Amino acid sequence: MNVIEIRNLTKTYPEFTVDQVSLDVKQGYITGLIGPNGVGKSTLIKMMLGMIRPDSGSVKILGCKMPAQEVDIKQRIGIVSDDCFYYEHLTIRDMKKMIAPFYKKWDEQKFNRYLEQFELSPKKKIEQLSKGMKVKFALAVALSHEAELLIMDEPTSGLDPVFRREMLDLLADMMQNERNSIIFSTHITTDLDRIADYIAFINRGKLVFNEAKDTLFERYAIVKGDSELLDSDIRNKFIGIRETTVGFEGLVDNRQEAEDLFGNYALLDKPTLEDIMYFTAKGGRIHA
Amino acid sequence: MLNLLRKDFIALKSSLWMGLMFLTVFSAVFIPKHSSSVHLVGIYTAFATLSHATMIDVKNQNHNFLVTLPISRKNIVQAKYMMSIIISLVSVLASYGIHMFATSVFPVLNKPELTVMDIIGPAAIVLALASIYLPLFYSLSKKGTSIINGVFFILLLALAQPTAMFMNMINENRLHSDPTLYLILIGIILLFIVSYYIAAVLFTKKEL
Repeated sequence: MNVIEIRNLTKTYPEFTVDQVSLDVKQGYITGLIGPNGVGKSTLIKMMLGMIRPDSGSVKILGCKMPAQEVDIKQRIGIVSDDCFYYEHLTIRDMKKMIAPFYKKWDEQKFNRYLEQFELSPKKKIEQLSKGMKVKFALAVALSHEAELLIMDEPTSGLDPVFRREMLDLLADMMQNERNSIIFSTHITTDLDRIADYIAFINRGKLVFNEAKDTLFERYAIVKGDSELLDSDIRNKFIGIRETTVGFEGLVDNRQEAEDLFGNYALLDKPTLEDIMYFTAKGGRIHA
Repeated sequence: MLNLLRKDFIALKSSLWMGLMFLTVFSAVFIPKHSSSVHLVGIYTAFATLSHATMIDVKNQNHNFLVTLPISRKNIVQAKYMMSIIISLVSVLASYGIHMFATSVFPVLNKPELTVMDIIGPAAIVLALASIYLPLFYSLSKKGTSIINGVFFILLLALAQPTAMFMNMINENRLHSDPTLYLILIGIILLFIVSYYIAAVLFTKKEL
């Protein structure tokens, strides 16, 4: 079952376009939404949440249509973003008093437990919180109303490595319940290397792929070898290639074909998500 | 709706003194000098408090926060209109109370006799102003709202004298039961309702 179903979502701005994006996010899994900055990840998430109206296309979340069933959807989802807009002059306690009554399934004990775990004092004002602490607070709110789906937009970008790890563990804990799902947009791909099950890659406003992470790592390969192995036909086999005076390093999307082509003459490595993102975003030949 | 009103009161909690300050300052300015002070104190306090409340929202990019909660944009607008009714009634009644107190303690102020129209009149004027102000608040950006607040402040200063004259005319000519007056009041209520629908449409279409 899909918790998010996006069909042909389009939004045109003078600078860029989110172009006919269709995407399914599966229930019970963590889907990482990756892509370089400014390619439309946040716009896509804002369209899912009804903050931006798409020019065309449709969004279904947890089986309900956006924006027609927006209120029902938002009872069942948690939103964590690096832009947390809370009342700066209020304390955490006041913000909680403000937010909690909106949710039918608010769990006060759970919330207090998260505050303790994240070392957030309820007496602290929002304006005194660092960016990371605000994300912690947003996460505490999102996890305290039994959200079935967490939508996270660049949540780790302002966090120190210790809390980033802690947060990833928390998300993994949340996934113990098979009903729960997470979509996690980031350009810090190492976070997704650790926890994501599926990866959706957006580049220049288009969905490049949405696949299981393991399949992706089986399919893609980084090929390293001497420059003499390359000719124009072979160069075309690469999604992106980086050439130096002594050799090359490139990404292919068919490991088997690359193995057949290069045999023992080149080294085939498992790519990281960053490699996939880098070579796909850059494309063609890169000279170092 | 109740949760949204509660939210506004929590947001205003730490600056409730501002409302009291507006009331004190406008009372000190208008009561000794102006025969129509009961109206002006109510109108100025109400509008200053309303624009202070919206500025708190704007400063904290409150709309971006609200749309993450399980409430519709229509409800968000509805609650703000309800809030403006509450603010205008409380301010106008506070002004009325202060004037009742002032006239009984300081008869030398020689204030005109207070009537129900001294409550309904200023409250209607505030609602008429809010009917223009709130759709702008929901359609403009942060910078735009700051400009609009400035424009409305100047507008209020300019309208002080005509308002006083209008309210005096009603009192002096004993027009309290004139049907035209009731038509104006009904017109203001209709304007307020139409304004709500416009603000709701504008805010529903607004991109955050």
